Amino acid sequence: MGGLGAAMVILFAFVAASMLVSAVGVVAFRRPIYNALALVANMLGLAVLFLLLNAQFLFVAQIIVYTGAVMVLFVFIIALLNPRADIRLQRPGAEWGFGIVFGVVFAALLLIILSTRALPGKPGPYTPEAIDAAGNVQTIGRALYTTFLFPVEVASVLLLVAAVGAVYLARRRIH
Amino acid sequence: MIPAYAYLWLSGILFTIGAVGVLIRRNPLVMFMCIELMLNAVNLSFAAFSRYLNSLDGVAFAFLVITVAAAEVVVGIAIIVQVYRAGRAMDVDELDLMKE
Repeated sequence: MGGLGAAMVILFAFVAASMLVSAVGVVAFRRPIYNALALVANMLGLAVLFLLLNAQFLFVAQIIVYTGAVMVLFVFIIALLNPRADIRLQRPGAEWGFGIVFGVVFAALLLIILSTRALPGKPGPYTPEAIDAAGNVQTIGRALYTTFLFPVEVASVLLLVAAVGAVYLARRRIH
Repeated sequence: MIPAYAYLWLSGILFTIGAVGVLIRRNPLVMFMCIELMLNAVNLSFAAFSRYLNSLDGVAFAFLVITVAAAEVVVGIAIIVQVYRAGRAMDVDELDLMKE
């Protein structure tokens, strides 16, 4: 069991480091296609972390929805629009100052909060053993269709509205 | 066992990188990607809390966040394509028609 724990720590460290590098890549690359590929790497790393967190359902949803659907959409649009205008160098204007100030302040807040606060909340009944005994997807499916029935229905209406809106926007010509 | 703080730190740093990206980049597609990065970071802390508090709420919330993000990307990219078709520059600073 100790060997497995050490392997998990090493895996976490490796995935976390690659996620940080790819996140910086998402912000820093000049060509949008490189940003998109860095984001794909980041999302795959996140999927691995979901697996480490015993959230197999989220692992599958992450890969199918994000890495599969959303990023394919991004890459298609980048290939379609071929945004050559973006290669121009960004002038470091006022937004860089705002961005850096915001980043420093936000990081300082995080540092204060995460280093001074204990994790609140009292543990619930869904230990990994209990979830594995009942089946991971079965447990989450039951929760989604009982406790979270209303949010799930609202989300389904939202998806319907988004699909209709996207079709409408794609058909209309704006002059 | 990996401490919960490791996940929360990673999540916070990723969120900060995404937020700074939204602030400093001016290409709408890249800004969208940075927003996705922020949503992903939040999902990571949802899943971490869910695991360490032995609860399913975080997983369910992360699932809903994924749903909302998918809807947001669909509509946002449709708008970006329309803006591009209208012949405008891919720069949010120059898309200021609604300012007046």
